[in-house]
Amino acid sequence: MIALESAGMDRSASTVALGGGGRSVKRTLEAENDAIHAHRLRKVYDDLVAVDDIDLKIAKGQLYGMIGPNGSGKTTTIKMLVGLLRLTSGKAYVLGEKVPISQNISRIGYMPQEMAIYTDLTVRENLQLFSELYSIDPKKFEGRADDLLKVIDLADRKDSLVSELSGSMRHRVSLACALVHDPEVVFLDEPTVGVDPELRVGFWKYFADLKEKGKTIVLTTHYMDEAVRCDTVGMMRAGRMIAEGSPKGLMEESGTADLESAFLTFAKKVGS
Amino acid sequence: MRLNRVLAIAKKNLRSLKHDRRTVGFLVLMPLLMITIFGYTFGGTIQNVSVYIVNLDQAPSNSSVSEKIIASLESTDTLHIVKMLTTPDGVGAAAEEVKDAHIWAAIVFNETFSADVLAASRSLGPPASIQLIIDGTNPNIVSAVTGELQTAIRSVIGSGAAAPMSVAPDLVYGKDARFIDFFAPGVMGLAAMMVTFMLSIISFVHERSGSTLDRLLSTPVTEGEIVAGYALAFGFVGLIQSCVIISAAILLFNVMIVGNVLLALLVVFVLGVGNQGLGFMLSSFAKNEFQAIQFLPLILFPSILLSGVFWPLEAVPTLLRPVSYFIPLTYAVEGLRSVMIRGWSIDGIWVQLVVLLGFAVAMLLLSALGLKRRR
Repeated sequence: MIALESAGMDRSASTVALGGGGRSVKRTLEAENDAIHAHRLRKVYDDLVAVDDIDLKIAKGQLYGMIGPNGSGKTTTIKMLVGLLRLTSGKAYVLGEKVPISQNISRIGYMPQEMAIYTDLTVRENLQLFSELYSIDPKKFEGRADDLLKVIDLADRKDSLVSELSGSMRHRVSLACALVHDPEVVFLDEPTVGVDPELRVGFWKYFADLKEKGKTIVLTTHYMDEAVRCDTVGMMRAGRMIAEGSPKGLMEESGTADLESAFLTFAKKVGS
Repeated sequence: MRLNRVLAIAKKNLRSLKHDRRTVGFLVLMPLLMITIFGYTFGGTIQNVSVYIVNLDQAPSNSSVSEKIIASLESTDTLHIVKMLTTPDGVGAAAEEVKDAHIWAAIVFNETFSADVLAASRSLGPPASIQLIIDGTNPNIVSAVTGELQTAIRSVIGSGAAAPMSVAPDLVYGKDARFIDFFAPGVMGLAAMMVTFMLSIISFVHERSGSTLDRLLSTPVTEGEIVAGYALAFGFVGLIQSCVIISAAILLFNVMIVGNVLLALLVVFVLGVGNQGLGFMLSSFAKNEFQAIQFLPLILFPSILLSGVFWPLEAVPTLLRPVSYFIPLTYAVEGLRSVMIRGWSIDGIWVQLVVLLGFAVAMLLLSALGLKRRR
């Protein structure tokens, strides 16, 4: 793996800690302190290796971005972490609980890449459904829903059926559903795809606010100008983590001026 | 399992329906249409059923019982006696006519009929028999002809005497029951089964293909709670439909409901829950709505044809009859008829209820396990 040092992360220490044999206490401690801690995470479908032995160490309060082309394993990684896919091998912890999590499931939020909201319900009814599934007090829900509707700029459409909304609006509803229970860790799979530039700026401001409040955000994106805003960027290609670090560190290490060029440089190195 | 989450899923499904007026219209109008069409089609009075009478009775006219019965049969509008035959070869000829579908039935009195009736009435011999050669393709016709024969026999020899003819018990639906009375419980079960199965399989394929299921499973809601929430919502839809059918059946056709309506609705609810589970389970084998629809005939046709909705199980070919006992609708229809026509309480239909409950529990468990396994 490349550029670990530039990310300011002691990957070797974590690897040793996870190496087994009498070090399980240290591993558990690390896993508890981190929002996400994964070691040799692997997912294989028949003869396709979707995720190939990746390690992750995401501290609480971090904004972590996964970038990479389609099929690089970003979504599969997130689905394993939120418990939707079984791990073929490896171990992962979210908020100190081994994946698949159950105790901490109310502490995480997940926005899938697809819309994954009910188009035959109104915006508010979608929010209410997820609020009820997280057993949120109905009185608290009202205030929470109003706040979120302002963030996604759909306060005036709250009683509209989702099927009547544009693609961008639906995407925003999907984001709000992932945040309705005020989770500590949020997994957002391409949250800004199809969202107009003005609103994207608003989204990133909101992500920054969440981070400010100590929330951990793990997102995937194709937009390099967005990835630059992350604390740490994980570059994935063909199921492998080819580089990881701060955007600035990655650009310095690759000797490039932007993340896109940095990605291509790392991809070339790994390929050669 | 947390009730609030089960209710959240159930409410979600009902809210979806609330916004989809076309589907709600379908849910209400479909059973109404079914009971109306079937009711008017099958509920009318049968007239002019063409029959042959073969009277071989050797008794003199003044003491012939057969002639009295025939006279009674001639006075009704139900039968149209096309021909009277009195020679032994007439039996074969009449049977041939039935076989060729030129007539519906041949009523045959044998040579010793009157003497047999006399002997039977003095307890000196077995009951005399009237041979009925009948085209059994239409249970209404069978019912009408046998009914007329019984009426004629009673009018001649009185209700106290031993009936000189045996009647298949599956055609006796209850005193004064009409075909619509026999039919309405079947339609109730069929409608509930069709709708819950269709709603369930389509909804779930939609949940899977739209990734909303993934999203649900990333929340604290469990697989069992999702399945239970769906069962509750669609079981409720089945109940509403049954209420529509019962109301229509009573108002339009004055259908007989002897037993407890609530018990009948319980049967429908359990059937609905079970079929919802079946739809849920089969949805995992369909990638989209188009594939899901392909399951409909696979499940619906055997249920419609073999479960006793339209004709008694005894009318199902012997080879296929064992299949009938693997179809949950068979038990629901039997249970509903027992409650609505025979007036039986839960004591009389516990077997059917247990089978339906077993089916529902098995389907729900398999559905929940199927959801876990996909991970």
